[in-house]
Amino acid sequence: MKIGFYPKMAVSGMRKNGRLYLPYIIACILMVAVFYIMHLLGYSKMLENFAGAGTARDMLKLGTNIMAIFGTIFLFYTQSTLIKGRLKEFGLYSVLGMNRKNLGKIIFFESLITGTISIACGLLIGIGLSKLAELGFRKMIGLDSSYKFVISMESVFFTVGVYGFIFFLIFLNAVRQVRFSRTINLINSDKAGEKPPKANWFIGILGLVLLACGYVLALKIEQPLSALLVFFAAVILVIIGTYLVLIAGSVLLCRILQKNKKYYYKTNHFVSVSSMAYRMKRNGAGLASICILLTMILVMLSSTSALYVNKEESLNNKYPRQINISAGNDGYSDSYGKEIEKVTEVINKKTEENGAKITNSYIYTTCSVTGYFENGKLRLDIDPVKMFEDNPLGNITTFDYDKIVQVNFFDLDDYNRLTGNNETLSSGEILAGIEGKLQFGNELIIGDETFKVAKRIDTKQGDFKHTMNNLVVTTLVVVVDDFGEVTSRYNRYKDATGDTMLVWEWHYAFDTELDENKQKDLNDLLRNYIRDELYQQKFYAVRCESRVEERTDFVETFGGLFFLGILLSIIFLVSCVLIIYYKQISEGFEDQSRFGIMQKVGMTRENIKKSINSQMLTVFLIPIVVACMHLAAVLPIIHKLLKLFGHDNMPLLLICAGVCALICGIFYAVIYKLTSNAYYEIVS
Amino acid sequence: MSLLEVTGLKKIYKARLGGTSVEALKNVNFSVEKGEYVAIMGESGSGKTTLLNILAALDRATEGTVLLDGMNLSTIKDSAIAMFRRDNLGYVFQEFNLLDTFTVEDNIYLPLVLAGRRHADMKARLDKLAPALGITEILKKYPYEISGGQKQRAAVARALITDPKIVLADEPTGALDSKSSDELLALFKQINQLGQTVLMVTHSTKAASNASRVLFIKDGVIFHQIYKGNCTDQQMYQKISDTLNLLAQGGEQ
Repeated sequence: MKIGFYPKMAVSGMRKNGRLYLPYIIACILMVAVFYIMHLLGYSKMLENFAGAGTARDMLKLGTNIMAIFGTIFLFYTQSTLIKGRLKEFGLYSVLGMNRKNLGKIIFFESLITGTISIACGLLIGIGLSKLAELGFRKMIGLDSSYKFVISMESVFFTVGVYGFIFFLIFLNAVRQVRFSRTINLINSDKAGEKPPKANWFIGILGLVLLACGYVLALKIEQPLSALLVFFAAVILVIIGTYLVLIAGSVLLCRILQKNKKYYYKTNHFVSVSSMAYRMKRNGAGLASICILLTMILVMLSSTSALYVNKEESLNNKYPRQINISAGNDGYSDSYGKEIEKVTEVINKKTEENGAKITNSYIYTTCSVTGYFENGKLRLDIDPVKMFEDNPLGNITTFDYDKIVQVNFFDLDDYNRLTGNNETLSSGEILAGIEGKLQFGNELIIGDETFKVAKRIDTKQGDFKHTMNNLVVTTLVVVVDDFGEVTSRYNRYKDATGDTMLVWEWHYAFDTELDENKQKDLNDLLRNYIRDELYQQKFYAVRCESRVEERTDFVETFGGLFFLGILLSIIFLVSCVLIIYYKQISEGFEDQSRFGIMQKVGMTRENIKKSINSQMLTVFLIPIVVACMHLAAVLPIIHKLLKLFGHDNMPLLLICAGVCALICGIFYAVIYKLTSNAYYEIVS
Repeated sequence: MSLLEVTGLKKIYKARLGGTSVEALKNVNFSVEKGEYVAIMGESGSGKTTLLNILAALDRATEGTVLLDGMNLSTIKDSAIAMFRRDNLGYVFQEFNLLDTFTVEDNIYLPLVLAGRRHADMKARLDKLAPALGITEILKKYPYEISGGQKQRAAVARALITDPKIVLADEPTGALDSKSSDELLALFKQINQLGQTVLMVTHSTKAASNASRVLFIKDGVIFHQIYKGNCTDQQMYQKISDTLNLLAQGGEQ
């Protein structure tokens, strides 16, 4: 045999199966290209030149790893579908006298050709697109465009290395598949009759129950941070539930439909219901994977886009003024106030010396304790966080996270000043407001102290709303007339680690008329002073932050996140589409004879078209509908998590989620049309 | 008037490229009376499958007419042809052609469901048919769970359930062992005796010897025909063998 024989066999084999190989190679090329771009942006010096690109680059680095793992899984999956379609051909070669080694050579050359084409084209496209991606990335994180064209040899080598390895693994897998089958099985591989699946009530119902549990858990979570473990449990329940429901539940549904004679024995339902029942067991896993991928895409895109679009508002929420100063300490002491007064004076003086006038300022002090709200009483003698850590699983059911409550005490003077009200209180009376869900009456017991609620207040009035920022826990606002006296009574409570439970905080924020550069300078000056001064006095969490500086960080973080979200979504979407395409095409080949028989028995072309359409529609609709359900269930948590970034804009989040779902839907519809046409062409 | 009348039937296959054409049927004329059991015999390539396909409206004749109960097959519109087939013809295939996604029962219902019949109606028909075909036990099973003979009986049930004017069978014993073949042939005879018209294409002498009349087709024309009359199956078998020998030796009509 000539040397060129095996490559020739490989090429002709691939060409003959072009309908399957072409999308596969396109997918490989895309994956390689995106991998290269991510690696380039994440690791090369391209983005090194500006300060604080760290966050974005870290995310891209993470993305690169995800890509490598996901790429491997996906390409493995596709390849094994591909090779299944070719087993018969290999069986024939084997009958004609080729041994396993010869077949291995053909597979080797196929893998080599696929790999080479994919990596070469992928790199070319990646290099071409990387400039575009770089410009996009720079625009998103607010950098000037650069017109240098960079090819990073490091990224090229890394891409070649990683994907070379992946293709090698795929080759080994293909060889394994061919090696471990007998010739006769190879030849008959596509004829092997399959048992129609039995409906499994247990698994189907279990799936539904798991799914329901996951949803309930997810919707119950009030504080995503302390309940992260619960959230993960919910995610896992939902994933397992989705798989079980789509695998067993769908067969079950078909069987139930089949039992309903009136429904089942209708021309439109008869063929599609029975073939769905037959298919679902095999397809269930695929559909569930698509569904999970779609959910990931939707969650990723809607949260990152919501963050990015809302970045200015989030920034203003988190940093209400140009300069924002805060400090904290344990317990309450009158001496804190005196120290702060001194510091404030110096700050004002230094600011004026800098030629700036303080405008629009607000200042307040607050004290807070956290406890567990039970029977109209806030218990300070148990530590919910510790209780949870001690027994996380047992507490998921018995522990109500809504009842962890933080109490913020304010002085009446501060409250009146911030809101512009003129409230008065007599001793033992308080103004109470609530941020979150909590029922309480006219009397509030906090620890051992009982207060009379004189009036309920709105926590979002005037500058007072800034005191409510970035809260993830249900928060109770308590305004008292004799602040120092009331709060010092709580100095005796200790938390689980033995520290004083009561936390004292001071906030001072103001605007100036300075331009942005001068704001930064002033901020640096003030920060140095405050730190020196307050750290010496044993204060902690001393912060002096300027909005200008934080803006860069915000834009970079959110821009990076959004960019990564888009890139990953493209990859996931492409994979979804390919999975669906392969499924439908390979089914089309199987269905060819089936539809032939039905035509002979009297099925009209119109019937066939209708039946294909309803079948396709189900296959396409199930994942996206379920994914949207998942998204809806997870949106409340996303909303709460986004609060950590200062994002508190539910309508915007809903719009973003809607737009993302719509975009995915449109993309999906196009693929649906293409696939069903291809399918129809095969079967008729 | 005969149930089925075939006159001057001609079928020419043209190669897609180039002018070469093959004449599968030259000039076929015959008729089938209601209640008859006719077998058509011929070697591979003699045109018998082409003929059957045209009779089943799966293919169109180049020339000539096929009248089924007075209806001209060539005038039926393409869109109506599947419906016509469903309502008037029963088809039994060599390879059974049962759908593995359906139970035996649902396979049998298929043409009726496509015709939009009510379930009660379908069930009544099957209840009458199933005991006669001996398939009552296997109705709930899937095709992969039953034997070849059972599959073919199910296929016969599917052909009969629409109460067709004529049952067309294409090598129905071709994929069966001899015992199952005998059972199936007995079944055909039985349904014929109940008044069902059957037209079977076969190259098995044994299968043909069951029919009341055998047509021989060669090179696209009906070459000869034999009536069974009062012969036994054995005598008919002998007659057919003789004719086939004659045909093989290239005898003239």
